[in-house]
Amino acid sequence: MSKLYGDPIEVWSRGGQPVQFVWRDRLYTIREVQDHWVVAREWWKTSDNDPGERRFWRVAAATGREVGTYELRFDTAGGVWLLLRAWD
Amino acid sequence: MAPFIHLHTASAYSLRYGTAFPDALARRAAEHGMDMLALTDRDGLYGAIKHVQACHDRGITPIVGVDLVLRDGHAVSVPGSGKRGGNGEPRRIVVLARSDGWATLCRLVTAAHRLGERGEPYVTPETVAEHAVGTAGIGAGIGGGGSRLTVLLGPRSDVGRAVAERRDDRARALLDAWRSAVPDVVVEVTDLYGYRDVNTATRMLGLAYSMGVPAVLTNDVRYLDAADHQVGNVLDAARRLVPLHPRHVDHPTAHAYLKDGREMARVVLRICGGDLDLAERLLGETRRVAERCALDPVEIVPLLDAENPRLHLPEIGEDPVPLLRRRCEDGLRRRGLSRPGSARTADARGRLAAELAIIEKKRLSGYFITVADITDLIRSMGVRCAIRGSGAGSLVNYLIGIGDVDPLEHGLLMERFLSEGRRGLPDIDVDVESARRLDCYRAILGRYGETGVACVSMMETYRARSAIRDVGAAMGLPPHEIDVIAKAFPHVRAGQIRAALSDLPELRDSGLNDRSLETVFRLAERLDGLPRHIALHPCGVLIGNSTLRDRTPVERSMLDFPMSQFDKDDVEQAGLLKLDVLGVRMQSAMAYSLREIERVDGRKIDLDSVPRDDRDTYDLIRTGRTLGCFQIESPGQRELVAKLEPRTMHDLIVDISLFRPGPVNSDMVTPYLEARHGFREPDYPHEKLREPLRETHGVVVFHEQVLRVVDVMTGCGLSEAEKARRALGTPDGREAVRAWFVPLARGSGFAPDVVERAWRVLDAFGGFGFCKAHAAAFALPTYQSAWLKRHHAAAFFAGVLTHEPGMYPGRVILDEARQCGVDILPLDVNHSGGTWLAERTPATGHSETGHAGIGRGYGLRVPFSAVKGVSEAEVERMAAGQPYTSLADFWERARPSRPITERIVAVGGLDALHGLRPGEPRWRPGELTRRDLIAQVGALDRASGRGTAGQLPMGFTERVVPGELPEMSEAEAVEAELAILGMDVSRHVIGFHDELLDAIGVTRSRDLLRRRNGAEILVAGAKVATQTPAVRSGQRVIFTTLDDSTGPIDLTFFESVQAHTAATVFGSWLLVAKGVVRRTGARAVSLRALSCWNLLDLDRLWRDHGIDAVRAVLSEAPAPPDAAGAGVGGRSIEYANGYRLSPYSDIGPAPGVREGRFLRHPEEPQRRLWHASSGSSGPTPSAR
Repeated sequence: MSKLYGDPIEVWSRGGQPVQFVWRDRLYTIREVQDHWVVAREWWKTSDNDPGERRFWRVAAATGREVGTYELRFDTAGGVWLLLRAWD
Repeated sequence: MAPFIHLHTASAYSLRYGTAFPDALARRAAEHGMDMLALTDRDGLYGAIKHVQACHDRGITPIVGVDLVLRDGHAVSVPGSGKRGGNGEPRRIVVLARSDGWATLCRLVTAAHRLGERGEPYVTPETVAEHAVGTAGIGAGIGGGGSRLTVLLGPRSDVGRAVAERRDDRARALLDAWRSAVPDVVVEVTDLYGYRDVNTATRMLGLAYSMGVPAVLTNDVRYLDAADHQVGNVLDAARRLVPLHPRHVDHPTAHAYLKDGREMARVVLRICGGDLDLAERLLGETRRVAERCALDPVEIVPLLDAENPRLHLPEIGEDPVPLLRRRCEDGLRRRGLSRPGSARTADARGRLAAELAIIEKKRLSGYFITVADITDLIRSMGVRCAIRGSGAGSLVNYLIGIGDVDPLEHGLLMERFLSEGRRGLPDIDVDVESARRLDCYRAILGRYGETGVACVSMMETYRARSAIRDVGAAMGLPPHEIDVIAKAFPHVRAGQIRAALSDLPELRDSGLNDRSLETVFRLAERLDGLPRHIALHPCGVLIGNSTLRDRTPVERSMLDFPMSQFDKDDVEQAGLLKLDVLGVRMQSAMAYSLREIERVDGRKIDLDSVPRDDRDTYDLIRTGRTLGCFQIESPGQRELVAKLEPRTMHDLIVDISLFRPGPVNSDMVTPYLEARHGFREPDYPHEKLREPLRETHGVVVFHEQVLRVVDVMTGCGLSEAEKARRALGTPDGREAVRAWFVPLARGSGFAPDVVERAWRVLDAFGGFGFCKAHAAAFALPTYQSAWLKRHHAAAFFAGVLTHEPGMYPGRVILDEARQCGVDILPLDVNHSGGTWLAERTPATGHSETGHAGIGRGYGLRVPFSAVKGVSEAEVERMAAGQPYTSLADFWERARPSRPITERIVAVGGLDALHGLRPGEPRWRPGELTRRDLIAQVGALDRASGRGTAGQLPMGFTERVVPGELPEMSEAEAVEAELAILGMDVSRHVIGFHDELLDAIGVTRSRDLLRRRNGAEILVAGAKVATQTPAVRSGQRVIFTTLDDSTGPIDLTFFESVQAHTAATVFGSWLLVAKGVVRRTGARAVSLRALSCWNLLDLDRLWRDHGIDAVRAVLSEAPAPPDAAGAGVGGRSIEYANGYRLSPYSDIGPAPGVREGRFLRHPEEPQRRLWHASSGSSGPTPSAR
């Protein structure tokens, strides 16, 4: 079962792909991108001309020896990363 | 590595789905370095011809396919296959034409439209299979299991859905069924970065390879750029008629755009999970499939081969060449052109030989035979039929009876219509009675059969109002609000919405500039020009042979006519021949008039053989009494005919040619009129140019003259001259022609100053000239309508009122009839018909001079159909049941609805029967009134229990006591006429305001000529017309005509006064205006308006506060324009020939206001009471 979080996190990317992130003061290294998709924002509900899109990554990441699956989300408009869910 | 090829691309011709035009897609593909591009529009090949042309222009190879709904999929039995999974969206497949499969693709699309409801085509696997392997239609006999079609099964197909639903067994079974039905099936994988997209793609790829089926990669393209996805979302919502919601959009991401090779490489790596070999295999197969489907552009668009286009011609059954020659010989005899030794005969023989040479060289003999057969067919049905356009310049057309205009008599040239140098096909246009146009289509279909004939279609595109409606609905605005917002806009392009908001005074103050609507307007502008609906073209008919269906897909029109999916440009490019059969209301009106003359007077008139030099008719025209006549009834034309004073058919031809934006604004009119009336010597640059220019006194009016001048000066021949003439329309073209013309003319021995002067003439007028053949074709019905008006006024007006051919609403025509001495007879249940009828009346009063008496002795009877809201069935019953003995009898036998009966009583339809008359005294004890009768209608309705729940016992009727209710006053009667019939029948509406108008000193129309030039005066009247035509200064100028029962008053509102007048001019019906008198001619006066008021406002003010209050308002100075700028904004449009135009010219006011629906005064009638121009008649801006 996954748990829902929605915590802001800090992420390092390379070539448009996340490679490491810090969540609750621990550093996670991404071993594998399992899935990646995007969702356009519901622009008709905002007054912005282009509210951007949300990019999702489902990754396998490790902190020390513990490996888990995490879902990360990047908001192109705000430039903010969130950790949405974790299976750990 | 070879470039990527997009095999699944929707253009804007996927209605309410695609966002990019074929040309933009081809250009982008070429920029990406791609060597091929497929267009696979949804549901049809609407964009195919444009795609093939665009690819040809960009040097890339076209591929064409179609994206179709799939129904009744293969019956495969796997566990759990019974339930229909996924969302309710239909399955779709893409079918590509292989290199030899264009005809098959056309037939498949036609079949898909035949299977589905109109607008909802679909295919079944069987239909696709039948076409692909050639058991259907023309493909039969290719044998060998070859396929002319390639089927792509993508994520939206039945196979793709099964994979997405993780029903792999079902997917496998479905793919297997497809593979055994259709030889060339491939799996299409797509990843638009949506949730699970890549997963589905990977598994579809796995399925394909495990079964040995090839797979291709596409991007399911519908955008040019990612930023277009908002427009796509709006279209998705508009197509489904629902507000925007994530559930209602087809693509939750913005990735469905025409990606370049690098971006597609990223996609392929995602799908192949980084497996490079797999990626290479997928891309390689994509290319192999594309190469199998490469099309030869010239085969589909024969006109790309300018030298020797392969045309699609009708079959005649015998060799058309000798047949046409024979028919022309017969024609010479019939038209009296076969007398040996006569000069005309010699001329005709020479001309005929030259025309036949070109026709035969272009292999068009069969076309002419076919068109002549069709015009014969139309005439044999008793339908009036006239040739229009440049086709009137051809002697062949005259000889074989397509047209009735003798080109030799009027000096018309064939080259303007068909010449060796002219690329493309000749266009023969014929005008028929508008009311019989569809009958003509049916007859043509009957004669040539469904397989060889189709109507031409046209795309209706998004404009400001439709775009606002669709975006507003998608954004969830309440329907009522959307309606108000949309109607506030004039008929402008969607791209002009925000500009119009800030430019037009009447919109600036409307409150629509609200920030909350900003998104709606921004998106509505993005829809600008996108096709939204396919419709029957108003006149084009394709005539081909039995293989027409291999050349164009055909669907059913709304009225169930077979309709090509190509528009008129596509049709020509595709080498298909079309005939324009245009419905002309004036032809219907004249046919109706002739029937009325025969019915009332027992005289049968052959309108085509009435003398064409009738003095009385020209007298009518010369005095400007042309209201109702074809082509010459507008205020501007009435002024021009009064100045030009036509006396012959040729004068009418010149008049029609001159009354166009170009000649009017480049001031060709003045030198012509001066020379015509002898104020100025005609100016000929050279003696040799006297002949071609003499007919118009040295001014170049006609295209034909341009051709002759060029030919005389250079000796290049008329065909070459026609090429040069076409180039004169643009500055670049003029430069090129000049560089060619000047040395050639000097080489022919003309002196440099002569060449220079001749060039100046061509330069100034060449681009504006008018095709004389066209004008000559128009002049005939113009003359005929004037002849009818002069000699059979009542019948003429009956035709005009019944078929409404002109620009004016009924009340204006009716008033003109009244002024011509025709008696206006009220609605009468015992005398009215379904349409306007002429009646003999006792000629009363003294004989009038001038034209006031031309209609004397006849009346016009208001018909039942004029009653607002009446149904056709009611009209028929009412006319059939005559005579009636009482209201109850009428009610019983004609069975009109209650509101209709009440309206008929209110406008006096039973006055004669029951001896009623409106007016004073209002209280008439013991005497029946209209109001009593209306009450009786209610009683009858209740008694017959029609439409009511509580039925009364039979035989019970309420007793209405005569005189219980007051009679209508005359003003109330006219008000009722305006509201119910849309016209003031019993008397002119302005008459009720005489007291006020006299008190403030208004000048009447008949007294205008007596006012001195420059005087500032007040006028008043009912608005007859507003126009905002193209004028030279590039301003938006409003021309308004008022009518005050003594004649018309023409007012001009320049931009400087529009800030305080535009809303009133557009928004009111009865107007008082202050203006300065301008004498425009000996008998012509117009006013430069300074201010205007709604007469009803003044009337109320007068009643409430007295005359001084009115005078105070009239003497108020208009408020100074605010800082935001007065008048009309917007950059004027500059045409290539240097002619400037306001972006709002010919567009005018908001249509709601204009059509009389948006009135500010509740007492103003809610019917269209005046004319306003719409659409543009100006030249088209050069594409630069």
